[in-house]
Amino acid sequence: MSIMKIENLQAKIGDKQILKGLNLELEPGKVHAIMGPNGAGKSTLSKALVGHYDIEILGGDITYKGKSINEMEPEERALEGIFLSFQHPVEIPGVNNAYFLRTALNAKLKHQGKEELNAAEFLRAMKGHLEMLGMKSDMISRSLNEGFSGGEKKRNEILQMLILEPEVIILDEIDSGLDIDALRAVSEGINKMKDGKRSFLVITHYSRILDYIEPDYIHVLKDGKVIKTAGPELVPYLEEHGYDGIEED
Amino acid sequence: MNLSTLKNKNQQEVTDFLSVKDREALVERFVSLGLPSKKSEEYRYFDVEKLLEKEYKTLNYVPRPLEISEKIEIVDGVVVAAPKGMRVYNDECKMIDMDHFDPLYYLGHLLSPSTIKIELDGDIHVEIEHTFTQSDALINYRIVLYNQANRHSTVYDNFVANDIKNTLVLYGYDMHIAQDSTLRMVKTHTMPDSSYSVVASHKVNVAKQANALFKSFDLGAGQALQLLRVELEEHAHVDAGHLLYLNADSKRGTVSQIVHKGEHSTSTQIAKNILDGNARGIFDALIKVEHSAKFTKADQNSKSILLHDKAYMASKPQLEIYIDELEASHGATTGQLDRKQLFYLQSRGISYVEARKMLVIAFANTLIETVKDTRQQERIQASFEEVFYSGHKN
Repeated sequence: MSIMKIENLQAKIGDKQILKGLNLELEPGKVHAIMGPNGAGKSTLSKALVGHYDIEILGGDITYKGKSINEMEPEERALEGIFLSFQHPVEIPGVNNAYFLRTALNAKLKHQGKEELNAAEFLRAMKGHLEMLGMKSDMISRSLNEGFSGGEKKRNEILQMLILEPEVIILDEIDSGLDIDALRAVSEGINKMKDGKRSFLVITHYSRILDYIEPDYIHVLKDGKVIKTAGPELVPYLEEHGYDGIEED
Repeated sequence: MNLSTLKNKNQQEVTDFLSVKDREALVERFVSLGLPSKKSEEYRYFDVEKLLEKEYKTLNYVPRPLEISEKIEIVDGVVVAAPKGMRVYNDECKMIDMDHFDPLYYLGHLLSPSTIKIELDGDIHVEIEHTFTQSDALINYRIVLYNQANRHSTVYDNFVANDIKNTLVLYGYDMHIAQDSTLRMVKTHTMPDSSYSVVASHKVNVAKQANALFKSFDLGAGQALQLLRVELEEHAHVDAGHLLYLNADSKRGTVSQIVHKGEHSTSTQIAKNILDGNARGIFDALIKVEHSAKFTKADQNSKSILLHDKAYMASKPQLEIYIDELEASHGATTGQLDRKQLFYLQSRGISYVEARKMLVIAFANTLIETVKDTRQQERIQASFEEVFYSGHKN
């Protein structure tokens, strides 16, 4: 039984159709890696899953826990447990990072019928996460992502993932712009979230991140479709031969 | 008194109507500029004629002995209280700017033969509270603020109105910031409705190596315009910031001229405008660099967010430059809330309505946070959020 099922998904951005009948099932507790050449539709897929305003769904269906989410608002999808770590997180001057994180967490707790956290409880809950990610404590008192380095932005994405505890985690090029230390810290955060129930969709150009987050499945995306699904043994082949020689399943 | 009577009147007629003596130069200047109308560039978006056409009762401005208070209290144009030891008194204004662009600056002076003079001669923080209690009245007064040399003062300018209606307030400051001194003026003016209107016409002289910080936070409804003329001498600096958050049918804003007269003078002017409902915001700002002001640095920017399709922002940043040796920039943008930012917040489970609120407050905070005193910053934030949330209860 999959946690998320994407059937014959067709989507466009502007006038250009990017996804052309994409099929994919995410299994609970598994790490799915999506690889593919530039323009294949990897980021479009991630945006379609979280209800990005750029995307117009032309056909097909996305079901999450057996329910279609095509018409759901982005915040509803988030509250239900779908999380996207953005490739380029936006900067929001004037929105305090801690305030943002607590607002997001409390929205989730409220949705779950749980008691919301006050500022002190929230800061206590954050402490361990910050240490694990090697984040300076002042990063949560600054404006959201403003002036953050590429690595700091990605760590902040992982921090949000850790506190929101989503069930489907989409990581869109989480490894881009990270040095080795940051990659290790980010990977540690991701691995900490593996609990045998959560599902991960790791979108990447490079195999480097997959040395740290061991995938269960590799899906090759080309021209808006998944053309091949295999185990992690496909990674070295792709490294050596690229995507041109891949034959469709 | 009906101020529209002054329309197209000659010097003698104005002198007679206002019953003034020995103020020929002021009357001449007022007559040459003419009573403002929608044809006056600085009042073009303000509907000033409607305010001037009303019949107002005039008040008697009788000086009173001052009570001791933590703040300077001005009630209906009369100073009634001041902190102990502070020099606050009524006196004739001897340094009136004869180059001001605003006719109501001169009318304000003509109507106020005696001004409230405040001498800031220590490194102090003081609040000036303006209270208005009279309905159907023309409340006019002028304040001279003198910041002594080598002193660094901060003035918080606040407003209270007690259940009044149909009143017009004409007031303004003549600020003199002496050499090597700093004056920070932080004005917060919340108007919950259109029960009274304000035209505030200011002049700021910034002497050699002095600094002026003028931050205004204009919130809510009503009709109010501040007209500001700043003159900068050698190595003088002004940092002006204006936050507008308007709702309902309000018409408010800033018309300014920053004039660089001395070499190496610098100016920064930032306007942040958030317009909701049918509101009309005004930012008509000129930076003028005179021949004598080589090596000037001037930066001016206006950013506006329209929260409603009927809201309107009149942004007009302008540069008038007479030299080559300078650095100057200006710009204005008007748009909606940033869609990427909205989506980012929504993607974390924050509702669309809440995300909008967060972004609006964030936009305002970037200017509010330039007020360095944390307590005052929190007070302004609270005022802003109170006005904002009152219009966005969902």
